[in-house]
Amino acid sequence: MNSVASPSDQARRDQAFESLLLLRRKSNVRRSAYYFVLLALVVWSIQVTIIDDTDWERMGSLGAVLKSAGRFIGVDIGLFPSLLVPAIETLVIASLGTILGVVICLPATWFGALNITPFKSVTYPLARLMMTLSRSIHEIVWALFFVAAVGLGAMAGIFAIAVRSVGFIAKMSAEAIEDINPGPVEAIKATGANTLQVVIFAILPQVLPQILGTVIFEWEINIRRSAILGLVGAGGLGLVFFRQMHTFNYHGVTSVIVAILALILIGEVVSHYVRKSII
Amino acid sequence: MPILEVRNLIAKYSARGPEILKSVSFDVEDDDFFAIIGPSGAGKSTLIRCINRLVEPVSGEIFFEGQDVTKLNSRELRSLRRDIGMIFQEFNLIDRMSVMDNVLSGRLGYTGTIRSIFRAFKKTDIQHALALLDRVGLIDHVDKRADELSGGQRQRVGIARALMQDPKLLLLDEPTSALDPKISREVMALILEMARELKVPCLCNIHDVNLAMEFCNKIIGLQDGVKMFDGPTEDMNEERLNEIYAMEVL
Repeated sequence: MNSVASPSDQARRDQAFESLLLLRRKSNVRRSAYYFVLLALVVWSIQVTIIDDTDWERMGSLGAVLKSAGRFIGVDIGLFPSLLVPAIETLVIASLGTILGVVICLPATWFGALNITPFKSVTYPLARLMMTLSRSIHEIVWALFFVAAVGLGAMAGIFAIAVRSVGFIAKMSAEAIEDINPGPVEAIKATGANTLQVVIFAILPQVLPQILGTVIFEWEINIRRSAILGLVGAGGLGLVFFRQMHTFNYHGVTSVIVAILALILIGEVVSHYVRKSII
Repeated sequence: MPILEVRNLIAKYSARGPEILKSVSFDVEDDDFFAIIGPSGAGKSTLIRCINRLVEPVSGEIFFEGQDVTKLNSRELRSLRRDIGMIFQEFNLIDRMSVMDNVLSGRLGYTGTIRSIFRAFKKTDIQHALALLDRVGLIDHVDKRADELSGGQRQRVGIARALMQDPKLLLLDEPTSALDPKISREVMALILEMARELKVPCLCNIHDVNLAMEFCNKIIGLQDGVKMFDGPTEDMNEERLNEIYAMEVL
Protein backbone atom coordinates (compact mmCIF):
# COMPACT_ATOMS: atom_id res chain seq x y z
CA MET A 1 0.00 0.00 0.00
CA ASN A 2 1.32 3.39 -0.94
CA SER A 3 1.82 5.57 2.14
CA VAL A 4 1.38 8.84 0.20
CA ALA A 5 -2.29 9.59 -0.45
CA SER A 6 -2.97 9.35 -4.13
CA PRO A 7 -5.23 11.94 -5.79
CA SER A 8 -8.03 9.41 -6.04
CA ASP A 9 -7.82 8.74 -2.27
CA GLN A 10 -8.04 12.46 -1.61
CA ALA A 11 -11.12 12.78 -3.81
CA ARG A 12 -12.79 9.86 -2.07
CA ARG A 13 -12.12 11.40 1.34
CA ASP A 14 -13.51 14.76 0.20
CA GLN A 15 -16.62 13.07 -1.01
CA ALA A 16 -17.07 11.23 2.31
CA PHE A 17 -16.55 14.54 4.11
CA GLU A 18 -19.21 16.25 1.99
CA SER A 19 -21.81 13.55 2.57
CA LEU A 20 -21.03 13.52 6.28
CA LEU A 21 -21.57 17.28 6.48
CA LEU A 22 -24.90 16.92 4.71
CA LEU A 23 -25.96 14.17 7.10
CA ARG A 24 -25.01 16.23 10.16
CA ARG A 25 -26.83 19.29 8.82
CA LYS A 26 -29.95 17.17 8.29
CA SER A 27 -29.90 15.74 11.79
CA ASN A 28 -29.26 19.21 13.27
CA VAL A 29 -32.32 20.55 11.49
CA ARG A 30 -34.34 17.63 12.77
CA ARG A 31 -33.10 18.15 16.31
CA SER A 32 -33.93 21.87 16.21
CA ALA A 33 -37.40 21.02 14.99
CA TYR A 34 -37.91 18.66 17.96
CA TYR A 35 -36.78 21.35 20.40
CA PHE A 36 -39.08 23.90 18.79
CA VAL A 37 -42.10 21.61 18.96
CA LEU A 38 -41.36 20.77 22.59
CA LEU A 39 -41.02 24.45 23.50
CA ALA A 40 -44.25 25.31 21.68
CA LEU A 41 -46.05 22.55 23.62
CA VAL A 42 -44.80 23.88 26.95
CA VAL A 43 -45.78 27.47 26.08
CA TRP A 44 -49.20 26.33 24.94
CA SER A 45 -49.71 24.29 28.13
CA ILE A 46 -48.79 27.23 30.34
CA GLN A 47 -51.06 29.51 28.32
CA VAL A 48 -54.06 27.20 28.59
CA THR A 49 -53.70 25.96 32.17
CA ILE A 50 -52.09 28.81 34.10
CA ILE A 51 -52.57 32.08 32.24
CA ASP A 52 -56.09 31.56 30.90
CA ASP A 53 -57.42 29.38 33.70
CA THR A 54 -56.41 31.36 36.77
CA ASP A 55 -58.61 33.94 38.45
CA TRP A 56 -55.86 36.58 38.69
CA GLU A 57 -58.13 39.19 40.25
CA ARG A 58 -59.14 36.90 43.09
CA MET A 59 -55.51 36.01 43.74
CA GLY A 60 -54.50 39.65 44.10
CA SER A 61 -50.97 40.68 45.00
CA LEU A 62 -48.15 38.40 46.18
CA GLY A 63 -48.78 39.61 49.72
CA ALA A 64 -52.38 38.52 49.53
CA VAL A 65 -51.31 35.09 48.31
CA LEU A 66 -48.90 34.65 51.21
CA LYS A 67 -51.57 35.87 53.62
CA SER A 68 -54.07 33.32 52.35
CA ALA A 69 -51.53 30.53 52.59
CA GLY A 70 -50.51 31.74 56.04
CA ARG A 71 -53.96 31.04 57.38
CA PHE A 72 -53.01 27.36 57.49
CA ILE A 73 -50.08 27.98 59.82
CA GLY A 74 -51.07 26.99 63.33
CA VAL A 75 -52.83 24.01 64.83
CA ASP A 76 -56.28 23.84 66.38
CA ILE A 77 -55.27 21.84 69.45
CA GLY A 78 -58.82 21.70 70.75
CA LEU A 79 -59.77 19.60 67.70
CA PHE A 80 -57.37 16.72 68.46
CA PRO A 81 -59.54 14.77 70.97
CA SER A 82 -62.37 14.69 68.44
CA LEU A 83 -59.96 13.34 65.80
CA LEU A 84 -59.28 10.12 67.69
CA VAL A 85 -62.40 8.28 66.56
CA PRO A 86 -62.10 9.33 62.87
CA ALA A 87 -58.40 8.38 62.96
CA ILE A 88 -59.27 4.93 64.25
CA GLU A 89 -62.00 4.73 61.64
CA THR A 90 -59.46 5.57 58.94
CA LEU A 91 -57.18 2.82 60.22
CA VAL A 92 -60.06 0.36 60.30
CA ILE A 93 -61.16 1.29 56.78
CA ALA A 94 -57.60 0.73 55.55
CA SER A 95 -57.25 -2.59 57.38
CA LEU A 96 -60.63 -4.08 56.53
CA GLY A 97 -60.30 -2.77 52.98
CA THR A 98 -56.94 -4.51 52.64
CA ILE A 99 -58.33 -7.77 54.04
CA LEU A 100 -61.34 -7.67 51.72
CA GLY A 101 -58.95 -6.80 48.88
CA VAL A 102 -56.90 -9.92 49.65
CA VAL A 103 -60.07 -12.02 49.45
CA ILE A 104 -60.89 -10.54 46.04
CA CYS A 105 -57.26 -11.17 45.07
CA LEU A 106 -57.56 -14.93 45.54
CA PRO A 107 -59.35 -15.58 42.23
CA ALA A 108 -57.51 -12.72 40.51
CA THR A 109 -54.14 -14.20 41.49
CA TRP A 110 -55.11 -17.76 40.66
CA PHE A 111 -56.43 -16.74 37.23
CA GLY A 112 -53.63 -14.25 36.63
CA ALA A 113 -50.62 -16.54 37.08
CA LEU A 114 -49.86 -18.15 33.72
CA ASN A 115 -48.56 -21.39 35.21
CA ILE A 116 -51.71 -22.18 37.24
CA THR A 117 -54.56 -20.33 35.47
CA PRO A 118 -57.25 -22.96 34.75
CA PHE A 119 -58.47 -21.98 31.25
CA LYS A 120 -55.69 -19.83 29.89
CA SER A 121 -57.58 -18.19 27.02
CA VAL A 122 -60.49 -17.11 29.25
CA THR A 123 -59.32 -16.77 32.83
CA TYR A 124 -55.96 -15.12 32.21
CA PRO A 125 -57.36 -12.12 30.27
CA LEU A 126 -60.17 -11.89 32.83
CA ALA A 127 -57.67 -11.60 35.69
CA ARG A 128 -55.58 -9.05 33.80
CA LEU A 129 -58.73 -7.02 33.16
CA MET A 130 -59.57 -7.08 36.87
CA MET A 131 -56.08 -5.90 37.78
CA THR A 132 -56.01 -3.12 35.20
CA LEU A 133 -59.50 -1.90 36.08
CA SER A 134 -58.61 -1.82 39.76
CA ARG A 135 -55.47 0.21 39.23
CA SER A 136 -56.51 2.57 36.48
CA ILE A 137 -59.51 3.97 38.37
CA HIS A 138 -58.55 6.35 41.17
CA GLU A 139 -59.56 5.48 44.74
CA ILE A 140 -61.63 8.69 44.92
CA VAL A 141 -63.58 7.59 41.87
CA TRP A 142 -64.07 4.11 43.33
CA ALA A 143 -65.27 5.77 46.57
CA LEU A 144 -67.74 7.97 44.65
CA PHE A 145 -69.03 4.84 42.96
CA PHE A 146 -69.49 2.95 46.23
CA VAL A 147 -70.97 5.97 48.04
CA ALA A 148 -73.57 6.03 45.29
CA ALA A 149 -74.06 2.27 45.66
CA VAL A 150 -74.14 1.74 49.44
CA GLY A 151 -74.50 5.30 50.75
CA LEU A 152 -72.27 7.56 52.85
CA GLY A 153 -70.04 6.06 55.49
CA ALA A 154 -67.15 3.74 56.19
CA MET A 155 -68.52 0.80 54.22
CA ALA A 156 -68.16 2.66 50.93
CA GLY A 157 -64.58 3.47 51.94
CA ILE A 158 -63.82 -0.16 52.73
CA PHE A 159 -65.16 -1.30 49.37
CA ALA A 160 -63.22 1.40 47.53
CA ILE A 161 -59.96 0.48 49.29
CA ALA A 162 -60.54 -3.22 48.69
CA VAL A 163 -61.20 -2.86 44.99
CA ARG A 164 -58.33 -0.42 44.53
CA SER A 165 -55.92 -2.85 46.28
CA VAL A 166 -56.61 -5.77 43.98
CA GLY A 167 -54.52 -4.50 41.09
CA PHE A 168 -51.22 -4.28 42.88
CA ILE A 169 -51.51 -7.24 45.26
CA ALA A 170 -52.83 -9.64 42.61
CA LYS A 171 -50.24 -8.56 40.06
CA MET A 172 -47.31 -8.99 42.44
CA SER A 173 -48.69 -12.29 43.78
CA ALA A 174 -49.34 -13.69 40.32
CA GLU A 175 -45.81 -12.78 39.28
CA ALA A 176 -44.42 -14.43 42.42
CA ILE A 177 -46.32 -17.60 41.53
CA GLU A 178 -45.03 -17.48 37.96
CA ASP A 179 -41.47 -17.38 39.32
CA ILE A 180 -41.68 -20.39 41.65
CA ASN A 181 -39.39 -23.37 41.45
CA PRO A 182 -41.42 -25.97 39.49
CA GLY A 183 -39.58 -28.89 41.15
CA PRO A 184 -41.69 -29.12 44.32
CA VAL A 185 -44.86 -28.77 42.20
CA GLU A 186 -43.78 -31.79 40.18
CA ALA A 187 -42.97 -33.71 43.36
CA ILE A 188 -46.31 -32.99 45.02
CA LYS A 189 -48.19 -33.84 41.80
CA ALA A 190 -46.30 -37.12 41.70
CA THR A 191 -47.71 -38.12 45.10
CA GLY A 192 -51.20 -38.15 43.60
CA ALA A 193 -52.22 -34.81 45.13
CA ASN A 194 -55.12 -32.84 43.62
CA THR A 195 -54.79 -29.29 42.33
CA LEU A 196 -55.72 -27.61 45.60
CA GLN A 197 -53.26 -29.78 47.51
CA VAL A 198 -50.53 -28.84 45.03
CA VAL A 199 -51.32 -25.15 45.62
CA ILE A 200 -51.26 -25.54 49.41
CA PHE A 201 -48.14 -27.71 49.67
CA ALA A 202 -45.97 -26.78 46.70
CA ILE A 203 -46.92 -23.22 45.71
CA LEU A 204 -48.06 -21.32 48.81
CA PRO A 205 -45.00 -22.08 50.97
CA GLN A 206 -42.80 -20.70 48.19
CA VAL A 207 -44.67 -17.42 47.71
CA LEU A 208 -46.24 -16.65 51.09
CA PRO A 209 -43.47 -14.40 52.48
CA GLN A 210 -43.42 -12.36 49.30
CA ILE A 211 -47.22 -12.04 49.17
CA LEU A 212 -47.45 -11.05 52.84
CA GLY A 213 -44.79 -8.41 52.25
CA THR A 214 -46.82 -7.02 49.36
CA VAL A 215 -50.04 -7.02 51.40
CA ILE A 216 -48.43 -5.11 54.27
CA PHE A 217 -46.95 -2.60 51.84
CA GLU A 218 -50.41 -2.13 50.29
CA TRP A 219 -51.94 -1.74 53.76
CA GLU A 220 -49.51 1.08 54.45
CA ILE A 221 -50.53 2.79 51.20
CA ASN A 222 -54.18 2.17 52.04
CA ILE A 223 -53.85 4.22 55.23
CA ARG A 224 -52.95 7.21 53.03
CA ARG A 225 -55.82 6.43 50.70
CA SER A 226 -58.45 6.00 53.40
CA ALA A 227 -57.33 9.27 55.02
CA ILE A 228 -58.67 11.22 52.05
CA LEU A 229 -61.67 9.08 51.12
CA GLY A 230 -63.81 11.09 53.57
CA LEU A 231 -63.63 13.96 51.07
CA VAL A 232 -66.31 12.18 49.09
CA GLY A 233 -68.22 11.00 52.15
CA ALA A 234 -66.61 7.63 52.70
CA GLY A 235 -65.79 8.14 56.39
CA GLY A 236 -62.62 8.65 58.41
CA LEU A 237 -60.33 11.65 58.81
CA GLY A 238 -61.09 12.93 55.32
CA LEU A 239 -64.63 13.73 56.38
CA VAL A 240 -63.35 15.93 59.25
CA PHE A 241 -60.90 17.57 56.84
CA PHE A 242 -63.78 18.36 54.52
CA ARG A 243 -65.86 19.84 57.37
CA GLN A 244 -63.02 22.02 58.67
CA MET A 245 -62.37 23.31 55.17
CA HIS A 246 -66.02 24.23 54.70
CA THR A 247 -66.25 26.05 58.03
CA PHE A 248 -63.07 27.98 57.10
CA ASN A 249 -61.30 26.64 60.22
CA TYR A 250 -57.87 26.58 58.57
CA HIS A 251 -56.05 25.67 61.78
CA GLY A 252 -58.41 22.74 62.10
CA VAL A 253 -57.45 21.65 58.58
CA THR A 254 -53.82 21.66 59.65
CA SER A 255 -54.73 19.60 62.72
CA VAL A 256 -56.26 16.98 60.49
CA ILE A 257 -53.16 16.97 58.26
CA VAL A 258 -50.99 16.47 61.35
CA ALA A 259 -53.22 13.58 62.43
CA ILE A 260 -52.97 12.01 58.97
CA LEU A 261 -49.18 12.35 59.07
CA ALA A 262 -49.06 10.69 62.49
CA LEU A 263 -51.24 7.85 61.26
CA ILE A 264 -49.09 7.31 58.18
CA LEU A 265 -45.98 7.35 60.33
CA ILE A 266 -47.48 4.65 62.55
CA GLY A 267 -48.34 2.63 59.45
CA GLU A 268 -44.80 2.92 58.12
CA VAL A 269 -43.24 1.84 61.40
CA VAL A 270 -45.56 -1.17 61.75
CA SER A 271 -45.05 -2.09 58.10
CA HIS A 272 -41.28 -1.86 58.45
CA TYR A 273 -41.10 -4.18 61.44
CA VAL A 274 -43.64 -6.70 60.19
CA ARG A 275 -41.94 -6.94 56.79
CA LYS A 276 -38.58 -7.36 58.44
CA SER A 277 -39.85 -10.20 60.59
CA ILE A 278 -41.29 -11.99 57.53
CA ILE A 279 -38.30 -11.63 55.25
CA MET B 1 -46.71 -60.50 34.28
CA PRO B 2 -44.36 -57.49 34.39
CA ILE B 3 -45.52 -54.67 36.66
CA LEU B 4 -44.69 -52.12 33.99
CA GLU B 5 -44.82 -52.61 30.22
CA VAL B 6 -43.86 -49.76 27.95
CA ARG B 7 -44.74 -50.14 24.26
CA ASN B 8 -43.63 -47.93 21.36
CA LEU B 9 -43.49 -44.81 23.50
CA ILE B 10 -43.13 -41.55 21.58
CA ALA B 11 -42.81 -38.19 23.33
CA LYS B 12 -42.39 -34.62 22.14
CA TYR B 13 -42.29 -31.31 23.99
CA SER B 14 -44.17 -29.41 21.30
CA ALA B 15 -46.42 -30.49 18.46
CA ARG B 16 -43.90 -29.55 15.77
CA GLY B 17 -40.80 -30.27 17.84
CA PRO B 18 -38.46 -33.20 17.46
CA GLU B 19 -39.27 -36.59 18.99
CA ILE B 20 -37.58 -36.88 22.37
CA LEU B 21 -38.44 -40.57 22.62
CA LYS B 22 -38.55 -42.61 19.43
CA SER B 23 -40.71 -45.67 19.96
CA VAL B 24 -39.18 -47.01 23.18
CA SER B 25 -40.36 -50.37 24.57
CA PHE B 26 -39.29 -52.31 27.67
CA ASP B 27 -40.64 -54.30 30.65
CA VAL B 28 -40.00 -53.90 34.36
CA GLU B 29 -40.49 -57.05 36.45
CA ASP B 30 -41.59 -57.25 40.07
CA ASP B 31 -38.12 -57.58 41.54
CA ASP B 32 -36.19 -55.32 39.16
CA PHE B 33 -33.87 -52.51 40.02
CA PHE B 34 -33.88 -51.17 36.53
CA ALA B 35 -31.39 -48.59 35.27
CA ILE B 36 -31.84 -46.22 32.35
CA ILE B 37 -28.47 -44.93 31.22
CA GLY B 38 -27.46 -42.66 28.40
CA PRO B 39 -25.84 -39.30 27.68
CA SER B 40 -27.46 -35.97 28.63
CA GLY B 41 -30.36 -35.16 26.36
CA ALA B 42 -31.00 -38.80 25.51
CA GLY B 43 -34.55 -38.59 26.90
CA LYS B 44 -34.06 -40.36 30.25
CA SER B 45 -35.97 -37.78 32.30
CA THR B 46 -38.74 -37.58 29.72
CA LEU B 47 -39.08 -41.35 29.68
CA ILE B 48 -39.41 -41.60 33.44
CA ARG B 49 -41.91 -38.71 33.54
CA CYS B 50 -44.11 -40.40 30.95
CA ILE B 51 -44.68 -43.30 33.36
CA ASN B 52 -46.67 -41.14 35.81
CA ARG B 53 -47.62 -38.66 33.08
CA LEU B 54 -45.81 -35.63 34.44
CA VAL B 55 -45.02 -35.51 30.72
CA GLU B 56 -47.82 -36.54 28.36
CA PRO B 57 -46.61 -39.04 25.75
CA VAL B 58 -47.66 -38.44 22.15
CA SER B 59 -48.32 -42.10 21.43
CA GLY B 60 -47.55 -45.58 22.65
CA GLU B 61 -48.83 -47.58 25.59
CA ILE B 62 -47.74 -47.84 29.20
CA PHE B 63 -49.27 -50.72 31.16
CA PHE B 64 -48.94 -50.45 34.93
CA GLU B 65 -50.35 -53.59 36.57
CA GLY B 66 -52.10 -54.29 33.28
CA GLN B 67 -53.85 -50.90 33.16
CA ASP B 68 -53.05 -48.50 30.29
CA VAL B 69 -51.71 -45.35 31.95
CA THR B 70 -52.13 -43.23 28.84
CA LYS B 71 -55.92 -43.68 28.87
CA LEU B 72 -56.62 -42.64 32.47
CA ASN B 73 -58.82 -39.64 33.32
CA SER B 74 -57.53 -37.13 35.87
CA ARG B 75 -59.07 -38.91 38.86
CA GLU B 76 -57.65 -42.28 37.82
CA LEU B 77 -54.33 -40.60 37.11
CA ARG B 78 -54.15 -39.28 40.67
CA SER B 79 -54.71 -42.72 42.09
CA LEU B 80 -52.07 -44.12 39.73
CA ARG B 81 -49.57 -41.48 40.88
CA ARG B 82 -50.36 -42.41 44.48
CA ASP B 83 -49.11 -45.91 43.70
CA ILE B 84 -45.86 -44.70 42.11
CA GLY B 85 -43.27 -43.01 44.31
CA MET B 86 -40.80 -40.61 42.75
CA ILE B 87 -37.39 -39.37 43.84
CA PHE B 88 -35.77 -36.38 42.14
CA GLN B 89 -32.31 -35.14 41.28
CA GLU B 90 -32.84 -31.81 43.04
CA PHE B 91 -34.82 -33.48 45.86
CA ASN B 92 -37.78 -31.12 45.23
CA LEU B 93 -38.60 -30.77 48.90
CA ILE B 94 -40.73 -27.92 50.24
CA ASP B 95 -37.93 -25.81 51.71
CA ARG B 96 -40.03 -23.82 54.14
CA MET B 97 -41.78 -26.86 55.62
CA SER B 98 -40.47 -29.17 58.32
CA VAL B 99 -38.89 -32.50 57.48
CA MET B 100 -41.95 -34.18 59.01
CA ASP B 101 -44.42 -32.22 56.86
CA ASN B 102 -42.33 -33.00 53.79
CA VAL B 103 -42.50 -36.71 54.49
CA LEU B 104 -46.21 -36.50 55.30
CA SER B 105 -46.85 -34.81 51.96
CA GLY B 106 -46.23 -38.27 50.50
CA ARG B 107 -49.66 -39.16 51.91
CA LEU B 108 -51.52 -36.36 50.10
CA GLY B 109 -53.01 -38.82 47.63
CA TYR B 110 -54.64 -40.63 50.55
CA THR B 111 -55.65 -37.48 52.45
CA GLY B 112 -58.79 -35.40 51.94
CA THR B 113 -58.50 -31.81 50.79
CA ILE B 114 -59.88 -30.31 54.03
CA ARG B 115 -57.51 -32.37 56.14
CA SER B 116 -54.56 -31.32 54.01
CA ILE B 117 -55.41 -27.61 54.32
CA PHE B 118 -54.88 -27.94 58.06
CA ARG B 119 -52.05 -30.45 57.64
CA ALA B 120 -54.19 -32.76 59.82
CA PHE B 121 -52.68 -36.05 58.73
CA LYS B 122 -53.86 -39.28 60.33
CA LYS B 123 -52.05 -40.46 63.46
CA THR B 124 -51.06 -43.69 61.73
CA ASP B 125 -49.48 -41.62 58.94
CA ILE B 126 -47.45 -39.63 61.46
CA GLN B 127 -46.30 -42.86 63.11
CA HIS B 128 -45.35 -44.30 59.74
CA ALA B 129 -43.45 -41.12 58.82
CA LEU B 130 -41.55 -41.22 62.09
CA ALA B 131 -40.60 -44.86 61.52
CA LEU B 132 -39.40 -44.07 57.98
CA LEU B 133 -37.37 -41.07 59.17
CA ASP B 134 -35.79 -43.30 61.80
CA ARG B 135 -35.04 -45.87 59.11
CA VAL B 136 -33.29 -43.34 56.83
CA GLY B 137 -31.31 -41.95 59.76
CA LEU B 138 -33.03 -38.61 60.26
CA ILE B 139 -34.85 -39.20 63.54
CA ASP B 140 -32.97 -36.24 65.09
CA HIS B 141 -34.04 -33.85 62.32
CA VAL B 142 -37.80 -34.35 62.34
CA ASP B 143 -38.70 -30.78 63.31
CA LYS B 144 -36.02 -29.01 61.29
CA ARG B 145 -36.90 -27.05 58.22
CA ALA B 146 -36.02 -28.96 55.06
CA ASP B 147 -33.63 -26.24 53.86
CA GLU B 148 -31.48 -26.66 56.97
CA LEU B 149 -30.36 -30.14 55.88
CA SER B 150 -27.36 -31.18 53.78
CA GLY B 151 -27.80 -32.62 50.28
CA GLY B 152 -27.54 -36.24 51.39
CA GLN B 153 -30.00 -35.65 54.22
CA ARG B 154 -32.41 -33.88 51.87
CA GLN B 155 -32.40 -36.85 49.50
CA ARG B 156 -33.12 -39.14 52.46
CA VAL B 157 -36.19 -37.00 53.16
CA GLY B 158 -37.09 -37.45 49.48
CA ILE B 159 -36.77 -41.22 49.87
CA ALA B 160 -38.96 -41.21 52.98
CA ARG B 161 -41.57 -39.06 51.20
CA ALA B 162 -41.69 -41.46 48.24
CA LEU B 163 -41.96 -44.53 50.51
CA MET B 164 -44.70 -42.81 52.51
CA GLN B 165 -46.93 -43.45 49.49
CA ASP B 166 -46.69 -47.24 49.96
CA PRO B 167 -45.65 -47.30 46.33
CA LYS B 168 -45.85 -50.32 44.05
CA LEU B 169 -43.13 -48.81 41.86
CA LEU B 170 -40.40 -46.26 42.49
CA LEU B 171 -39.25 -43.83 39.81
CA LEU B 172 -35.82 -42.38 40.47
CA ASP B 173 -34.73 -39.43 38.36
CA GLU B 174 -30.95 -39.12 38.74
CA PRO B 175 -31.25 -39.54 42.53
CA THR B 176 -27.54 -39.03 43.16
CA SER B 177 -26.45 -36.49 40.55
CA ALA B 178 -26.53 -33.60 43.02
CA LEU B 179 -24.49 -35.50 45.60
CA ASP B 180 -20.79 -36.23 46.05
CA PRO B 181 -19.50 -39.74 45.16
CA LYS B 182 -19.41 -41.08 48.71
CA ILE B 183 -22.89 -39.85 49.60
CA SER B 184 -24.15 -41.02 46.19
CA ARG B 185 -23.12 -44.58 46.99
CA GLU B 186 -24.71 -44.41 50.45
CA VAL B 187 -27.97 -43.06 49.03
CA MET B 188 -28.09 -45.68 46.26
CA ALA B 189 -27.38 -48.43 48.78
CA LEU B 190 -30.16 -47.13 51.03
CA ILE B 191 -32.64 -46.99 48.15
CA LEU B 192 -31.74 -50.52 47.02
CA GLU B 193 -31.95 -51.87 50.55
CA MET B 194 -35.34 -50.32 51.25
CA ALA B 195 -36.70 -51.29 47.84
CA ARG B 196 -35.71 -54.91 48.50
CA GLU B 197 -37.14 -54.77 52.00
CA LEU B 198 -40.48 -53.37 50.86
CA LYS B 199 -40.43 -55.38 47.63
CA VAL B 200 -40.80 -52.31 45.43
CA PRO B 201 -39.41 -52.49 41.90
CA CYS B 202 -37.40 -49.44 40.84
CA LEU B 203 -36.86 -47.64 37.56
CA CYS B 204 -33.83 -45.43 37.85
CA ASN B 205 -32.34 -42.81 35.57
CA ILE B 206 -28.69 -42.61 36.18
CA HIS B 207 -25.80 -41.22 34.20
CA ASP B 208 -23.09 -42.67 36.44
CA VAL B 209 -22.49 -45.99 34.67
CA ASN B 210 -20.45 -47.43 37.53
CA LEU B 211 -23.30 -46.91 39.98
CA ALA B 212 -25.73 -48.45 37.50
CA MET B 213 -23.51 -51.52 37.03
CA GLU B 214 -23.08 -51.90 40.78
CA PHE B 215 -26.67 -51.49 41.96
CA CYS B 216 -28.97 -52.43 39.10
CA ASN B 217 -29.87 -55.83 37.73
CA LYS B 218 -31.13 -54.61 34.35
CA ILE B 219 -30.11 -51.77 32.13
CA ILE B 220 -31.54 -50.03 29.12
CA GLY B 221 -29.32 -47.64 27.22
CA LEU B 222 -30.86 -44.64 25.52
CA GLN B 223 -29.21 -42.54 22.86
CA ASP B 224 -31.05 -39.62 21.32
CA GLY B 225 -34.44 -41.14 22.22
CA VAL B 226 -33.64 -44.56 20.78
CA LYS B 227 -33.19 -47.68 22.88
CA MET B 228 -29.69 -48.99 22.11
CA PHE B 229 -29.44 -51.73 24.73
CA ASP B 230 -31.84 -53.72 26.88
CA GLY B 231 -30.69 -56.56 29.07
CA PRO B 232 -29.26 -57.77 32.36
CA THR B 233 -26.33 -55.84 33.78
CA GLU B 234 -23.96 -58.77 33.11
CA ASP B 235 -24.48 -58.35 29.37
CA MET B 236 -23.34 -54.74 29.42
CA ASN B 237 -19.76 -54.29 28.31
CA GLU B 238 -17.27 -51.64 27.25
CA GLU B 239 -18.14 -51.92 23.58
CA ARG B 240 -21.86 -51.44 24.15
CA LEU B 241 -21.25 -48.55 26.52
CA ASN B 242 -19.14 -46.83 23.90
CA GLU B 243 -21.95 -47.28 21.44
CA ILE B 244 -24.50 -45.69 23.81
CA TYR B 245 -22.23 -42.81 24.70
CA ALA B 246 -20.93 -42.40 21.15
CA MET B 247 -22.34 -38.90 20.83
CA GLU B 248 -20.40 -37.74 23.85
CA VAL B 249 -17.16 -39.19 22.54
CA LEU B 250 -17.63 -37.32 19.31
